[in-house]
Amino acid sequence: MNTKIIKTLLKKEMLDVFRDKKTVIMMLVVPVLLYPLIFIGVMQFMAFVSSSMEEQNYRIAVEEEDGGAFYDRLVQAGEREEQETEEDEASYKMTVVDAGSIAGVDAGRTPEPEAEMPEAVLKAVEEALEKEEIDAYVSTRFQDGKMQYDVYYLSSEANSSYAADLVTDVLDEFQEELTRERIAGAGLEEQEILEPICYERKNTASGEQSLGSVIGTILPFMLIISLLMGTMYPAIDTTAGERERGTLETILTLPVTNRELITAKFLTVAVIGMVSALLNILSMGGIAVYMYQVMELQTEMEEIQVMKFVPAIFVCILAVFAFSLFISAVTMCVTSFAKSYKEANNYITPLMLVVMFMGYSGAIPNLGLDSGTAMIPVVNICLLVKNMMVFKIDYGLIALVLISNIAYAALAVLLLSKIYDSESILFSDGKGGLQIFERRENMQKGGVPTVADTVFVLAAALLLMLYAGSILQMKFGLAGLFGTQMILLAVPLFLVLYTRRDIRQTYGFAGAKVQGYLGGVFLGVGLFLFNLAIGAGMMHLFPKSTEQLETNFSAVLGDSMIAALFVVALVPAVCEEMLFRGLVFHSLKAKYRTAAAVLVTAALFGLFHMSLVKFIPTGLLGLVLCFVVWRTGSIYPAMLIHFLNNAISMVITYCPEQVGKVFPVLNQSSFSVSEGLLLAGAGAVFAGIGGMVLWKGTEVKKKV
Amino acid sequence: MITADHLVKTFIKNEKKNKKSEIKAVDGISLAVGDGEIVGILGPNGAGKTTLLRMMSKLMKPTDGTVRIRLGEMEISDDVEVKRNIGYLSNNTKLYGRLSARELLQMLGVLYGMEESDTRERIEEISSILSMDSFLDNRIEKLSTGQTQRASIARCLIHDPQVYIFDEPTLGLDIISSAAIIDFMKKERERGKTVLYSTHYMEEAEHLCDRIVMIHQGRILREGTPDVLKEQTGKDSLRDVFAELIAGGKEITDEY
Repeated sequence: MNTKIIKTLLKKEMLDVFRDKKTVIMMLVVPVLLYPLIFIGVMQFMAFVSSSMEEQNYRIAVEEEDGGAFYDRLVQAGEREEQETEEDEASYKMTVVDAGSIAGVDAGRTPEPEAEMPEAVLKAVEEALEKEEIDAYVSTRFQDGKMQYDVYYLSSEANSSYAADLVTDVLDEFQEELTRERIAGAGLEEQEILEPICYERKNTASGEQSLGSVIGTILPFMLIISLLMGTMYPAIDTTAGERERGTLETILTLPVTNRELITAKFLTVAVIGMVSALLNILSMGGIAVYMYQVMELQTEMEEIQVMKFVPAIFVCILAVFAFSLFISAVTMCVTSFAKSYKEANNYITPLMLVVMFMGYSGAIPNLGLDSGTAMIPVVNICLLVKNMMVFKIDYGLIALVLISNIAYAALAVLLLSKIYDSESILFSDGKGGLQIFERRENMQKGGVPTVADTVFVLAAALLLMLYAGSILQMKFGLAGLFGTQMILLAVPLFLVLYTRRDIRQTYGFAGAKVQGYLGGVFLGVGLFLFNLAIGAGMMHLFPKSTEQLETNFSAVLGDSMIAALFVVALVPAVCEEMLFRGLVFHSLKAKYRTAAAVLVTAALFGLFHMSLVKFIPTGLLGLVLCFVVWRTGSIYPAMLIHFLNNAISMVITYCPEQVGKVFPVLNQSSFSVSEGLLLAGAGAVFAGIGGMVLWKGTEVKKKV
Repeated sequence: MITADHLVKTFIKNEKKNKKSEIKAVDGISLAVGDGEIVGILGPNGAGKTTLLRMMSKLMKPTDGTVRIRLGEMEISDDVEVKRNIGYLSNNTKLYGRLSARELLQMLGVLYGMEESDTRERIEEISSILSMDSFLDNRIEKLSTGQTQRASIARCLIHDPQVYIFDEPTLGLDIISSAAIIDFMKKERERGKTVLYSTHYMEEAEHLCDRIVMIHQGRILREGTPDVLKEQTGKDSLRDVFAELIAGGKEITDEY
């Protein structure tokens, strides 16, 4: 790589990006001008609203069944408030009115003090509250030898809620005074009775720590978002934008290597991201200082020494740099696939949502930075910043976070250079996208659905399964499970039929050789044994979640084993196979390399079971099933293996003793390490034999 | 001189019925264009012209075959070095609209490894040849079509390459603009440069090219001077030759 070339390209990209209005607006105008303006505007508005609320005159209607005792108290409290507040200070007024003055209440009031409030009166009160004639209504009556005060208010009206709070305060005061009076009347020492012990909370956190903990929950999210926003437009501009403007081919004619080109583009985006993030921080810092000044003038606060935050800020800036490398590389990977601004925006939206969601991790109370979380992108930055703000400094973890970000960035850049090496992406004509929204008569008959269609339908089916399926299962148990499987069958089938695809080809409905079945079953048995060992390992690592999973599952199963076998073994073997090994696998295989199709399908199948504990075993099952479908060219052996896999589990669940007599190993809940290894070894041998039979006994048709 | 030796480019495409099929966009083309020669590539849409020219200018990697440039005694085949000696122009080589022509040319000078003072002189020279002085410092997005076209030519010229490869350079241009390009190619030929270009305009090719290469379905159908081609087919114009060869293409390839 030639640094002079990179420098020139970098200069060109920078010029190009900075002369684009959109970037400049996102980078400069938004953080430097808009944020403070919005913030100060909101503060002014809040101050205006709250002052206008406090000038309010609260009208409170009170019944006088207690001989007017509370009525008088409220009036006193109102007068006291008026005296205490100075003239120019905004405050509230309390107007106490007799309940009898409200239309409809007077007539309906009952003479008996112990009676409940009559319907008609309640209605009149509700109406008066709705019309804002009064803000609160206090009914008084005798109950069980005591006075009962009920405060009626309308929680949907801010004024009414506030009035109710005021009345409740006066009631508390009233209660306490009466208590003191009675204690004194009984000749007791009121202090001893009411406050037998004394206590106080003492905060050992310094002012800096308290401030830091508040900042630490907000700042990480702000940082992540501002970096994301800052890198987004340059990332789109240097990749998809370049293609849209037609300059990509121009730059490819230059005597420049791909690596030099990508390095320059990547540095451009990363630098702009950093600058934008630093501007954001400065701008927010400015707002924070302003707030602090205002608060210091208004209230007495503990002195904060800003100097103490310097190391934290230094590490945060390092974190911003590392994260900007990471997020630039990732966004560029995504936008490189797009051919236009619009398309790139579509691609980037899901990424944004995921990053924003992960950016919230700073606000999750019990999530701390450890060697595990330090490896998770986005989350590690949030937690690091959070830690730094409360002065928790661990140099090892800081290094780990920075290094892992840089490592992920390097991986993403590597991927980026692969994309820029791929002529099919660079010179693509943009066909093969979402077809399902095309006019039906324009759809080409035959073949398998496009990857975009499949992803769309898979997402739709999964969403339906999540919402409708879980409700069905809770309501109808096993029958609901059956319904869920039908969703998984019907939604994709609709796509295949609607887009006029070839059903046989999409689902792999084709005969398979005996060797295919035989090898497949061996492979399946081997995997089952192997998964037993993995399951035991998972049980050991995550005892809680494994248990949870089992109780959840047994809650759905009924008493009948035959029904369970049908719904849990046979139906999924058909429906899930058709979806994953049929539609997903074949549509992926048509576009990408077979190995990639196998891996992605297996991973999706693992994720589909939505459990951390089940991911590895189900993912492995998915892998084996894809392999079988690929070798045999048919989905039937995979269905058979899937059925056997689920059926054996069911039989073990229903008749543990009988199974245990024949195969003791299957009825064992935990294994020693050596037993587990033995089991895994045996599984591997079985799988190996099955794999060999499949490999030798089948022939994969060469792609034409 | 630029030489293509048995170039093959295979694309994998998802065709009807979703059988993956390999399409040979270029199927074993060997071609040599000498110094001081203009060679025109003719062929119907989809014949593989663009793919061939992209491979020869190293924008695409060939599935098989090699491309070399000969500079006097020197033989070059390294991707970056070949690119350094080619000026490539096509409908898809747009310019950076937010830069001025001068900024763009200066940047290119560095990328082509030229000295700064040389670049400055060269820009002045090109600017006066193509009369770009009036708009040299304006942003390219503000230029008229004709001005943009001249800036594009300037882009190919800046490093004074030995070989020019133009993919349909006159497509959609008005008479004046396309005349400027044709003029430019003639001048470069006089200077002993190698020019390879593709076009759909038969009259233009007939009048300009020293040699014509007709390609169809990724293969060379016929090759020769316009006169020889007309003689072989017994037609009066290149347009008729083309119609004859492409329309009856199948039989001709069979006996070829």
